[in-house]
Order: sequence, then C-alpha cells, then structure tokens
Amino acid sequence: MYGYRLGAIGIVITFFTIIFSTVLMPMVLFQPKPAHTGNDYSTETVGNAARGRQIYVREGCFYCHTQFTRLQDRGYGPLVQAGDYNYETPHQLGTARTGPDLTNEGGRFPSQWQKAHLVQPRAVKPGSIMPSFSYLSDEDMNDLVAYIQTLGNKRLPQHYVEAPDEYRDTTEAGRALLARRHVDTNASASANAGRGIYTQNCAACHGLDGRGNGPNSITLEKKPANFTRPFYKQYDDSMWFYRTSEGVAGTRMPRWNQILTEEQRWYVVAYLKTLQKDTEETVDKLEDVEKAQQVKLPVLSHEEYEPHTGGGE
Amino acid sequence: MSNSLVDKFLSNQEGSASRNFFLSALWWSLWGMSAGLLAGLEFSMPDLVHNIPQLAMPHLRMFHVNAVAIGWLSMGYVAAMFHMVPTLCKTKLWSERLGNFTMWAWNVLMIGAMCTLLNGNTEGREYAELGALLDVIVMVGLVSVAWNIYMTVVNRRVKKLYVSLWYFLGSLFWFPLVYIIGQRTFVSLPGLNDAIIGWFYGHNILGMWFTTVGVGMMYYLLPRLTGAPLYSHGLSMLGFWGIALFYAPTGTHHILQSPVPEWLKAIAVISSIFLLVPVFTVLTNFFMTMKGKWGMVVTDIPLRFAVTSCMFYLVTCTQGPFQATRWVNWYLHFTQWVVGHAHLALLGTFSFILTSAFYYSMPRLTGRQWHSQGLIRAHYWLKFLGFSLMMTSLTIAGLVQSAGWHHGIPVDQWVIELVPYWFLRSISGIMIVTGQFIFAYNTYKTLYTRAVVVAPAAKPKEVKV
Repeated sequence: MYGYRLGAIGIVITFFTIIFSTVLMPMVLFQPKPAHTGNDYSTETVGNAARGRQIYVREGCFYCHTQFTRLQDRGYGPLVQAGDYNYETPHQLGTARTGPDLTNEGGRFPSQWQKAHLVQPRAVKPGSIMPSFSYLSDEDMNDLVAYIQTLGNKRLPQHYVEAPDEYRDTTEAGRALLARRHVDTNASASANAGRGIYTQNCAACHGLDGRGNGPNSITLEKKPANFTRPFYKQYDDSMWFYRTSEGVAGTRMPRWNQILTEEQRWYVVAYLKTLQKDTEETVDKLEDVEKAQQVKLPVLSHEEYEPHTGGGE
Repeated sequence: MSNSLVDKFLSNQEGSASRNFFLSALWWSLWGMSAGLLAGLEFSMPDLVHNIPQLAMPHLRMFHVNAVAIGWLSMGYVAAMFHMVPTLCKTKLWSERLGNFTMWAWNVLMIGAMCTLLNGNTEGREYAELGALLDVIVMVGLVSVAWNIYMTVVNRRVKKLYVSLWYFLGSLFWFPLVYIIGQRTFVSLPGLNDAIIGWFYGHNILGMWFTTVGVGMMYYLLPRLTGAPLYSHGLSMLGFWGIALFYAPTGTHHILQSPVPEWLKAIAVISSIFLLVPVFTVLTNFFMTMKGKWGMVVTDIPLRFAVTSCMFYLVTCTQGPFQATRWVNWYLHFTQWVVGHAHLALLGTFSFILTSAFYYSMPRLTGRQWHSQGLIRAHYWLKFLGFSLMMTSLTIAGLVQSAGWHHGIPVDQWVIELVPYWFLRSISGIMIVTGQFIFAYNTYKTLYTRAVVVAPAAKPKEVKV
C-alpha cells in the first residue's frame, strides 16, 4: 500500500542526488581561473567585437563552427584550457563541425577575406557550403569580422625566434658585422635604395607593397610574410638582417647572403622597416570588398642616395 | 454569449483536450519537418535561398529543432497522456478546460517561437534557444499538464499504478525541473559551467522527457494493440529505476574532450554504459510481450509503427553508449554521425511511437474510423524508408567526415565529398515530409468528412494491468 509513496520518494531522492552530483558539485568545485588567453567580453576593451559576438550567436554560427580545439585537431592551434571560457556565456563550444574550428581563427585570414567569405563564401572558398550572409548590414558584418579576428589572438607566443649571437654585439663576429655597417637603416634615402633591391628580388613572393601577396605566393604552401602587420614592428635591425641573410627554415625563402651583398641586405632592411602599419587593416565598406584591390606603392621621397662601394666584402 | 465562447475555446467535452493537442502537434510537425527539409536542402545547395534571413540554414535549424521537439513531440506526448492516463485510471481527465487552456498556451508559445527563432532572436544555447518570456509559457504549460495528470491519478478508480503511469508521473516531475535548470535565465555561469549545465539539459530533455514518456507509451500500446498481457511487471520496474538512476548524469559525454573535470566525465561515461541495463530490460519485456503475436504486425499498422519504434530504440540505445566511450567519441564527435543518431532517437523511435499512439487514440477519442487504411500504409512506408535512407546517408557521411578530421584534410576539400550524402538526406526528407502531409490529409478527412460510428473495435480493450 505504501509502494507508490516509497516510489515517489525514491524518484525525488534519486533525481536530486543526480542534480547535486552533476549540476551543483561542478558549480562549486569547478572554478577555473581566467587563463588570460580567452577573450574578456565583460569589459569593453575589444570594442565592436562584443557586438560582433552577439551577431555570431544570433546568426547561429556555432551550429557549424566550434570553438573547441582538441588533441587530435592538428593545425588548429594550441589546446583550449578551462580558463579560456570564463567570459564565454553563452558558451560557443559548438555542436557539430561542418566548417573549420574557429578557436584560433583571428588573424589567420585578412579581414577583407573574412568579409568576402560572409558575402559569398564560394567566391573565396570554392568548396564551402556556408550560407551567404549577404543580408547582414554593413555594420553587422564589420562587427562580426572584428569578433572573428579577436578569436585566439591573445595566445601570443611566449618566445620569439631571436637573431643568433653572430648577428648581435654579444660576440666577436657580431661586433665585426655591426662595425662594417655604414648604412643608416632609419634614413629614408636608405629605404629608397632598399626599395629597388626589394622590387627586383622580393616582390615576386612578398608583393609590391609587402603584403605577402606577390604572384608566386599562390604556388607556395607556406605563405610569404605580410610585412604590413604591426607584429613586425618589434623586429630590430639584427633580426631583420638575420632573416634577410639566412631565410626562414621550412619555407622557400632563400638564403640571400648567397646572392646579395651585405650592403644590399642592409638597404633592404631599411626598406622593410618602413612597411608596418599601426593596426591590422579592415575594410569598412562592402563596396571595397567587391572592387579589385588597388596596388598602392609606398610613397617615394625625393632624397637621393649614394651607393657605397666600400665595406667588408 | 461569453459562456458559449468559453465553451467553444475551452471546451469541457470529454477527450477534447487530448484531441486538440493531437491536432496541434500534427500542425506544428508540418512546419517543423518542412523547416528541417529546407535546412537539409541548403546543405547540398547552399545558394538555394538567397538574402532571406528567415530562411537561412542556422535560423531554420533553430526553428526545426524547437518545432519538432516542443511542438510535434511534446504536444503529441501531452495529447497521448491526456488519453492514456484517464484510461489507465478508469476515470475522466481531471479538467478538460485546464487541458484546453494549456493547449492554447502551447500554441501561443509555438507562434512566438516561430516569430522569434526564424529572426534569430535566440539565447544561443542549443535546444534552449527560446527567449525568457517563452520559457515562462513553457513552464506554465508543463505545470498545468503535470497538475492535471497528477489530479487525474489522485482521483483514479484502480488501486495499482500501471507501469506507464510510473513513467508519465516521473517524466512530469523531472522535465519541468530539467527545463528550469536548462534555461539558466537567472544565473550567468562562466563558459564551461554553462556548457556542463547546457548538456545536462540538452541530454535530459531527451532522457527525462522524450525517452521516459515514449517508453511509457510503448508499455501502454504494445499490450493493448496485441491484446497480450505485459510479460513481466518486475522487469518493467527494473527498467524504470534504471532509467531514473542512469540517464540523468550522462549529459557530460557531449563535451568529453573539453577541459571539464575528469570526475564529471567519468560519471558521464560510466552511467552512459550502464544505460544498457534499463534499455535491454525494457526491450526484453517488449519482445517477450510480443511473443506469438509478431504476425499481427502485418495487418495492424499502429502496431507496426510501435514495433518499428522499438526496433529503432534498440539501435539508438546500443549506438548511444558506444558513442559515449572515450575512444569512439574521440573519432565520431562533431560529425554527421551524431546528427544521424539524434534523428534515430527523436524521429526513428519517439516520432514513430507517437504516430502509433495517434493512429490508436484518434478513433477512440472521436468515434470516427480512419478515412483510409491505404494512406496510413503510404505514411508508414514513406516514413520508414525515408528514415532508413536518412540514417544510412548520415552515418556514412559522418564516417567520411571523421576520416577527414582524423587525417587533417582541410574542410573545403572533404566537404565536397559529403554533398552526395546530404543530397540523399534531402530526398529522405522529402519522403518523410510527404508522409507527414499524407498523415495530415488523412486526419482531416477522418475528422471532418466522416460520420461518428462507435465501432466495437474502437473501444479500449480490457487488458490485465
């Protein structure tokens, strides 16, 4: 006679035990600290990206794109950590992967590309099955692109490659190298000289204005560097000289010390240092995406340079 | 006059709440399944609909999930309970007026869901997309249904509770609580805790509502349709307590590879595997009940729907624990296989058993025989073959896709390989939606063009409970 009352009590106790163990216990015990690699949308530091995130949620992007890099996802960047998600409410871990994972998408493609991808995905990725989001307003689209460009961008590398000792004044060879140098890498005359050498030797891959989009870049698996990125502002002279001289291991970048003289390389360094922009470039108008990109040459100064024929070589 | 209006919209007629709920469910299934079909077509033809935000794939998907889960299945479940619970208690529904009021509230909710979700007004949580106001209406609906059913059971005229009632009462206790927890309208938790609760909800809307009510309906329908008593009452209790204990903590198996605590993952994986216990208990009970009655499947189409549902239940519940283990999950997570699995549960199992209940209950509620047995057969075959095609194509697509991820092939290269499977899925979708429209046409002809004939077959069979 008490069978079903006992049963009812049983149902209640079972259910609340489970709620306790799988809902309340994690709420109390699982308190990851912010990892400082996730984005903090609770503050307004990222500007429009906060609004872009709302558009990301509204358009249901998470139904196909995850933000959840796992051990087996090669080429998608570092593994996610618990603290990365501290500001991600509602969570955008995702549910299926019909498109690529976006955990570290920020900076992987130029903003123009991202915007063109939203307008007509198949124009920039022929195999894509993403629906066209051309119905979004221009402002919405810019904010959404701004949000996508923030994803993973706080995962800055801890250690950069540094120029080896023989390029720096810590060794005898480095001091000799710097002593031989007579090119003022900060003078615009030197940059003008370097521009000629760059155009003849480097522009085929790195592009006329240094965006890494020269005609050869299409054929290269590891894409040439885009020198307009603010990232390159931190390179000092010895790092530029090292890169120019010895190339980049694992890419098709040649060892220019076999081809160019030391002086010519210093002129190229002077030119490369002028290319960085202050911020990543975004396109503000939809029409700009649809137009063919104009090639903008850097401004030439009227200062003349005198080729130096001396030097150590 | 006002009195007659109240009688018209909040009818007190016996069985009207159940009938109206059934018809609303059928109406929303047409919308929900059509939205799913269009969304599916956009996978193989991405530029099919251009520049209409309401018909973009993600918006259609939100609406498809909510219309099918909350419109078709949940409303149908309430309808079936409003018919089955009074029959099992040998009494009337406690309040038909309250039932009809719930029906209107639920329809208002669905209209609101349609208007908001197609515009992308979403909370951004999978399966909990509805806005806060609509959540309140869902809660009002659920609480009034629970109250109605509990009061009916309190006023029952039989002493013992049949096993279906255990399932229904349990579900009506669990589901409102799971729903409240899942909406998180009043708490904002950091991302991973949000995901833990999100999947607690996302999996238990299936486990503590669709499965438990669906299995309760199987327990009701199989003995009634075959006229055989249930094989074992003891086994049915074991199955019930197994589900009550093992289903609720499994949700974390959806985020098995994310950085959530390992102990939580362990609970999820272990209880997912233990789920095999209640599943095989329940199915043993069903198949032993069917013993010697398998031949009836040929002639009795509601029974055929029910038995097909049990078979798909066997497949989906063997697949589920398999996918929840770490290494299989490692390979199959995030692929179309999972989409196929979800359809296997909701379309293959619970939509089939609900259709069986619909075909069984409607003549008993209205006293009208079905307009056409041929159309019911057409519905069965379109739905069965369509669903089998969908299942096969999505499963293969999932394997192709996971191989693509496994080998690190860029997405835009393997996604082209999946387009043929998505095209097959669209064909299966067309078959299923056609079947559903035939179902709706048959129901319309039955209710509005046929005279009332209370055939002896239409009375509930007396079965030992």
